[in-house]
Amino acid sequence: MKRRLFIKSVAGGTLATTLAGTEFLPRFLGGIENACAFSFTKQLSSKEARFYKRLESGGIECQICPRRCRVTDLERGYCGTRENRADKYYTLVYGFPCSANIDPIEKKPLFHFLPGARAFSLATAGCNVNCKFCQNWEISQMRPEQTDNFELSPQAAIDICIRERVPVIAYTYSEPVIFYEFMYDIAELGQKSGIKSVMITGGYIEPEPLKALLPQLDAVKVDLKAIREDYYRNIVGGQLKPVLDAIIQIKNSGAWLEIVYLVVPTLNDSEAEFRDLAHWIKNYIGIETPVHFSRFHPLYLLKNLPPTPQTTLERAYEICRAEGLEYVYLGNLPGHRAESTYCPKCGKILIERRGYQILQKNIERNLCRFCRKVVPGIF
Amino acid sequence: MTDQTISIVYDSMSRVVVVRSERPSEAKSPSVGVFMTMLEVGLNELTGMVQVTDAIKKYIPPGVIGLKVNCLTRQYNSTSVALVEALIALLVRNGRDENDIIIWDRTSNELDGAGFKLNLSSFGVRAFGTDVSRFGYSREIYSSGEVNSLVSRILTEEIKSLINLPVLKDHSIAGLSGGLKNLYGVINNPNKYHDSNCDPFAAQVLGIAPVKEKLKLTIIDAFRIQYNGGPGFDSRYLTEYGGIILSDDPVAADTVALQILEHLRAAHNLPSLEKSGRPVRYLATAERLKYGTADVKNIQLNVKTMDSQGALHEGSLF
Repeated sequence: MKRRLFIKSVAGGTLATTLAGTEFLPRFLGGIENACAFSFTKQLSSKEARFYKRLESGGIECQICPRRCRVTDLERGYCGTRENRADKYYTLVYGFPCSANIDPIEKKPLFHFLPGARAFSLATAGCNVNCKFCQNWEISQMRPEQTDNFELSPQAAIDICIRERVPVIAYTYSEPVIFYEFMYDIAELGQKSGIKSVMITGGYIEPEPLKALLPQLDAVKVDLKAIREDYYRNIVGGQLKPVLDAIIQIKNSGAWLEIVYLVVPTLNDSEAEFRDLAHWIKNYIGIETPVHFSRFHPLYLLKNLPPTPQTTLERAYEICRAEGLEYVYLGNLPGHRAESTYCPKCGKILIERRGYQILQKNIERNLCRFCRKVVPGIF
Repeated sequence: MTDQTISIVYDSMSRVVVVRSERPSEAKSPSVGVFMTMLEVGLNELTGMVQVTDAIKKYIPPGVIGLKVNCLTRQYNSTSVALVEALIALLVRNGRDENDIIIWDRTSNELDGAGFKLNLSSFGVRAFGTDVSRFGYSREIYSSGEVNSLVSRILTEEIKSLINLPVLKDHSIAGLSGGLKNLYGVINNPNKYHDSNCDPFAAQVLGIAPVKEKLKLTIIDAFRIQYNGGPGFDSRYLTEYGGIILSDDPVAADTVALQILEHLRAAHNLPSLEKSGRPVRYLATAERLKYGTADVKNIQLNVKTMDSQGALHEGSLF
C-alpha cells in the first residue's frame, strides 16, 4: 500500500511537513521547500548492474568493490542491494532512495568546496562494509525491502535541485558505491544542468568503476576509518589497502578531495596512528588536503565506548599540524576554533564556522584576502 | 518434566531420526497422509515415546508455534506444503490449537510462491512473511559472536516455540543448506554472513537469544534433494531421497544432512564439498560453541523406511 507524503513550504522558508496517513517524521526530503509529493513504495528496481562478470562455474562475480562477491542465483552480494537472477546481476535500489534531505555542504563535511552551499543529499539502503560505529546503520545495514523507499528518477532528482536552487547533489549517508548506477546517472545528468555532484564514501571501491565515475564527480569525501589494517578487518569489515589506493586515484583524477577520520576511543586514537596518518597524507595526497578529525558518539555496536574526549581530538590536530598538514579540522565539536579555516601562511581566519554556519569568509578567488596565498579548493 | 522446564540439552548423545518413504507412487508428490505417518514415526523414534501427543509435549511448550520454512526457490524446491500441512494436522490432532500456529518465512511473496496460503487474519493457521509491515524486524540488535542483527518480530514477539523446517540442498557458499542456514531467514542482514563459507556465522546464528530460547525441533525436508548448484533451483541436480530428518539438536540434524548430501554428490561423480572449495566448517564451529553435536560418533542415528505397503523397517541412510 502506498502512503502519501506531502511536504509544503511556509512563509519565511521554514518547513512544515504533513505526513498524511503516516506517523513518519521527515527523514525523507527534509529541508526541501515547496510542494513535493512522494509515495512510499515497496517496489524495488530491476536494473542490470554494472561491473560484474559471469563465471564459467555458474554465478557472477561483482566487480564494484573489493569484496568481489561471488553470487549465485537468487542470492545477493554482501551489500544486500544487488541480486543474481539467472546469472544476470541487478541493482535493486536504482531510483529508490530511502533518505533525501537538503543539507549544508559543511555537514558532509566538505569545507573547501562551495562553502555555505546547500546539497540535495540522497541515500539508498545498503553498504559494502559494516562499521561497528555506523551512525546510519538503520539504513546502511538494511536490505532495501527493510527501509521506507520512494521512487525518484535521476531526472526527478535534478529537477528538485533546479526547482529548489540547490547547486550540489551529495550521495551520502549510507555508501554510494552500492548505488553506483543511480549515482552515476544522476551525476551525468547533473553535469548537463550545472548541478555538481559530490560522493561521500568509505572509498571501498574497485579502480575500474571509480575510474569511470570520477569524471562525473566534482568532489569526494572519503572516510578513512583508520590507518591500520586490523582496524579495517575487525571494526569495519573491509580492507585498508583498497581504500588508500582509491584515495590516491581520486586525488590524481583532479576531483576535489577531503578526508575524514572518525576518532574512536581506544580503537584508532593512538598518537602513532595520528602520526602515521599524517605521514601517509603528506606522502601520497599532499599537505594541502583537508583532514577532518571527527568525534565519535557511542552508537550501533560500540555503545560501550565513551564519546571521544576533546583532548584526544586536539592531540590529533596538533600532531597533524606539526607534521605539516595545512588544513586540519575537528568535527562534532561545535564552537571549537578548529572548525574554522586558517591561512597556513599568515594565520588569519579564512572561513569562520560555527557548526554548519559560515560566519565570515575571507577567500577571494582561491586567495587569502590578507596575504594572497592560494587556498586549495572550489570556492 | 513439566512444560516449563523443557529445554534442549546438547551435552549428551544427540539423537537424529531419518524416516524414508519407499512408496514409488508418492515419490514425486507425497501426500499429507504419508508425511503424517513419517512425522509420527519420526517423533516417536526421536523421543522413545509411544504417543505422538507425548512426543509433541516433550518438545513444544504451550503457546504459539512458529514453523519456519524455506521458500527461496518458491514453487521449485521449497519446504513441501504437504509436509507442513501434515505437521499442522499432527499438532492439531494432538491438542494444539490451529490459531496458535504460524507458518513464516522472510517474505509473504516467497511463501505464496511456494504454495502456502497466506493468512494474515487472527483465525486459523496463519501464514505470512516478516516483511508484513506490522511485523518487520526488532528494534533491538541481537549479537552472537560476529553476528549482529535485527531479528524477525515473528520470532521475538509472536511465537513461543520454533520448529525449523528447512529444505536440504547444496549451497554455493555454505556448502550445505539445511537447518542452520535456514535460520539466516530470521535475521535482517544475512548478506553480511556469507564470507568464509558462512563460518562461523551459520553457527553463531544459533546463539542469537530468541533462536537459542525458542528453537525446539528441526525437521529437514529431504524428500527431494538438490545436491549441486544450490541454493537456486537447478533441476539437473535434483534427486529423490524420500526422507525427512528430525532432531532436537539442530547441529546433529545438519550433520546427518551433510552426510546424505556428500553421499549424493559422490554417487553423481561430483567432488566433495571440501574439494569444491565449500567445506562445511560451521557445524564443527557450532559444536565448539556447544550448540549441538557435529561429531557423528556422538550422534545416535535411527533410520526407518516405510515400504510401499506402509510397513516400517529399519532403514539405511544411503
